[in-house]
Amino acid sequence: MNPSNPDIQLTAYALGELPEDERRAVEARIQADPALQAAVDEIRALAAQLETELAGEPAPALSDAQRQAILDASAGGGGRLARFPWRRLTGFAAVAAAVTLVFGGVFWTATRSLHGTLLARIDEKGEMAIMEYEEQQLDELLEELSPPDELADLVIPVAPPEVEMGMTPPPDIQEFAAAPVMYEVAELEIASERLSPKPKTMPDVSAPAAHGISGAEAVGSVNGKAFPADGRDRMQRVSASGIVVAGRQDDSWIKLGKAPAHMTVSFQDAPSTLANRAAGRASSLRGYGGGIPACCPPPDGIPPLSNTESYAPIEGNAFKSILEEPLSTFSIDVDTASYANIRRFLQAGQLPPPDAVRIEEMINYFPYTYEPPREGVPFAVHVESAACPWAPSHALVKIGLKGRDLDAESRPPCNLVFLIDVSGSMSSENKLPLVKKSLRLLARQLTENDRVSIVVYASATGLVLPPTPGSQLAAINAAIDNLQAGGSTAGGAGIRLAYDQARETFLKDGNNRVILCTDGDFNVGITDSDELASFIAERAKQGIFLTILGFGMGNYKDDRLETLSNKGNGNYAYIDTFSEARKNLAEQAAGTLFTIAKDVKLQIEFNPARFASYRLVGYENRLLAKEDFNDDQKDAGELGAGHTVTAFYELIPHGVEPPAPAVDPLKYQPQPAAEEEPAAPAIDLENASPEWLTVKLRYKLPDQDTSTKIEVPFTGTFSDFSEASADFRFAAGVAAAGYLMRHDSAVHSIGFPDVVDCTAAATGPDPEGYRREFIDLLKNAAVLDCP
Amino acid sequence: MKRDLSHWLQDMVARYERPLCQYAYRITGNPEHARDAVQDTFLRLCRKGVLPDDHVVPWLFRVCRNRCIDIIRKEQPMEPLTDARAAVLPAPDPSPAEQAGLREAVSLLLQKLAELPARQAEVIRLKFQHHLSYREIAAVTALSESNVGVLIHTGIQTLRRQAAQL
Repeated sequence: MNPSNPDIQLTAYALGELPEDERRAVEARIQADPALQAAVDEIRALAAQLETELAGEPAPALSDAQRQAILDASAGGGGRLARFPWRRLTGFAAVAAAVTLVFGGVFWTATRSLHGTLLARIDEKGEMAIMEYEEQQLDELLEELSPPDELADLVIPVAPPEVEMGMTPPPDIQEFAAAPVMYEVAELEIASERLSPKPKTMPDVSAPAAHGISGAEAVGSVNGKAFPADGRDRMQRVSASGIVVAGRQDDSWIKLGKAPAHMTVSFQDAPSTLANRAAGRASSLRGYGGGIPACCPPPDGIPPLSNTESYAPIEGNAFKSILEEPLSTFSIDVDTASYANIRRFLQAGQLPPPDAVRIEEMINYFPYTYEPPREGVPFAVHVESAACPWAPSHALVKIGLKGRDLDAESRPPCNLVFLIDVSGSMSSENKLPLVKKSLRLLARQLTENDRVSIVVYASATGLVLPPTPGSQLAAINAAIDNLQAGGSTAGGAGIRLAYDQARETFLKDGNNRVILCTDGDFNVGITDSDELASFIAERAKQGIFLTILGFGMGNYKDDRLETLSNKGNGNYAYIDTFSEARKNLAEQAAGTLFTIAKDVKLQIEFNPARFASYRLVGYENRLLAKEDFNDDQKDAGELGAGHTVTAFYELIPHGVEPPAPAVDPLKYQPQPAAEEEPAAPAIDLENASPEWLTVKLRYKLPDQDTSTKIEVPFTGTFSDFSEASADFRFAAGVAAAGYLMRHDSAVHSIGFPDVVDCTAAATGPDPEGYRREFIDLLKNAAVLDCP
Repeated sequence: MKRDLSHWLQDMVARYERPLCQYAYRITGNPEHARDAVQDTFLRLCRKGVLPDDHVVPWLFRVCRNRCIDIIRKEQPMEPLTDARAAVLPAPDPSPAEQAGLREAVSLLLQKLAELPARQAEVIRLKFQHHLSYREIAAVTALSESNVGVLIHTGIQTLRRQAAQL
């Protein structure tokens, strides 16, 4: 065993792991030393206790459908998974997603590594073509490489980096660090001059690259095969050029090889996709470096491994001086997920963690009765003001957008293709069964002019409902009822089939849309979200939009789905209960299905003559730079038919002390004396405009690429809060509740009971009961807030 | 032959579904992912065909482990970009209150086990929960046999020390 360390040997002895000769030797030692015998007894007792307790540890079980899929596979002899080996490139894509890489003249091949024989190579043009390369053949090939019983004898493990499972290493090293690693790198003959120069943002690749080298050496020596002696040099050349060469340690080997130079992999898009939208999110992302992966706490009554709910900090918008920053720019947001999360906490008798509270998502959860726009304009802008309920010396200004409504008669016909994930993971009650109920709801609203098709993807991809007029409800419902979960996920073929289907039945003046229902485990084979995003964006240009309905999913795929739906000029709804399905697919179906404006941005210019400073309530992750407003390349939020969007500004008039800044005076820098402060530009109050602010709004119609601007000047009144409209008072109450849950220092004069009073008097008609439900939640919060 | 395979596979599923699910769940921390990994493992076994008895256990655990790592990796590339979003999304059941209760139900020893470095905890589980030998564990984890011995010894020592303190 390891005779050099008698303690380790003793443990092995106690566990019956020693070969005969060593066992005898240890036995002799134990005879002579009663302390050793005691130690052995202790180890065995502990082992027995571990065995007992571990045996009872709960575990998930396969679903019946999953089990059946396995047995079917063995009976049918096929058992082939429609799996995309390309996802094995995911890690590579992740590295690349952090940077911008362009490979010229590089192609991927899979090799039979142990013999160094080239078995498959891919040299089609472009990413999509690569996807379609006989995937099964390659899959089999990779599979063949995997049997561990053969590998175990061959592999010299490279010293694994000290990364523990369950933790999330930064993306640039996780590819290399998650497990014992074996790489094969062979025939690296990439002309380094063809590689793009190292981008400035390139993560430090020296360590991973070095790791790859040692892997190559280890394998080489095991095989007794002379791997290129200059492999090290080549690797270094490559890494110096800023390219990370990543092998996969589990069951596949990927190498970079010399190739006919015609494939270009561009990873340029993904970072910018999010970067655009999240210019203001940067601050809230600060926490993620050391973050715990936010995966879903397990259902099924399985004890959680650890506290997996982690919340990135939200930096609340601070008050800004109008003189210094007169412009405030942000993208609209019609998401409501944060509200659902807060509801879950309060219903369970807990105040939500402050960082889980996104005020704008709370406010926008509720429908408001704004006047619809006049004919020919996609939406109306409504601005209203009153004294701020939590700081009566401040003014509160509400900006409300109302999208044009579509009535059933005048709405364009729909060509809907449902793309449904029926993989095994969808089997739980809040997934596929809820999908079915949701689709039935939606189908009920269709007419004979509409067309519905259903495509499923899992182990197999198929069209389960050919294009059917919406009037044939029985046929549609029958197809929905027949959906069953089973098999593993492989969405790539599915999404293409869905879009092909949508194109086949394309309605020229209609609403052509793919509706993806998934739990987020949406592995589209195209793997890196750039490829998928560009695929979806391209189809969106051809007039086929994408709606994503997320079901029962864990946390971290959400942004991906949201990004994809944005690329597809669509929207994204999270459906956790039948009530949410009803809200999104029945009551507000038009908003979900019909986009009336895209890339909707708001820019507010404040009049320094009227107010000293302002802060935007919420929208921290939707802030845009002021230059982005007129930049039509900058993506922003979509607005669906009938949707409302509401935003608040809190304004501080001149002469009112702003809430004290929480910053100590600097110690090592001279304090600018009061008289040295730059004199404020003189504002001629006599002749200044009486306007408080101007709302500028840019939007594009769904089929346009250039934006239209609307300007709405606003002159407010400092009226009493109680005189404001019910919508204003209710929404302001929601904002106040959000601030209280965020422990905002500027909102301390009121408490939850005040908010209950304020909102209870402002429920309006509330036909669906959303507002009353909120008030009920607030009462929970009021009780929980008491120490 | 097919009939044999089918029977054999049925037997394998009956015997190893639960251990593999336990194992996969410890690695992925997510029951859905664990299920997918285990299903995938059995489907691969189905294609692999009947294996000799002494090979099948390390094969299953090894493949299962790789599937889990694959799934984790598949999930992670987007993760850094999504943390901020993830923070505000509803997580599925159990509710926070239920979780607290469940956490208390775990014995002290298992809590201590969970505090060990992940690799030590993993080999200890393979040894005492799944009854694999050092040699088999080495095959599953791609560690050397003596490395496995060291990890188990170190983990056991830590647990013994902690037990003595209680």
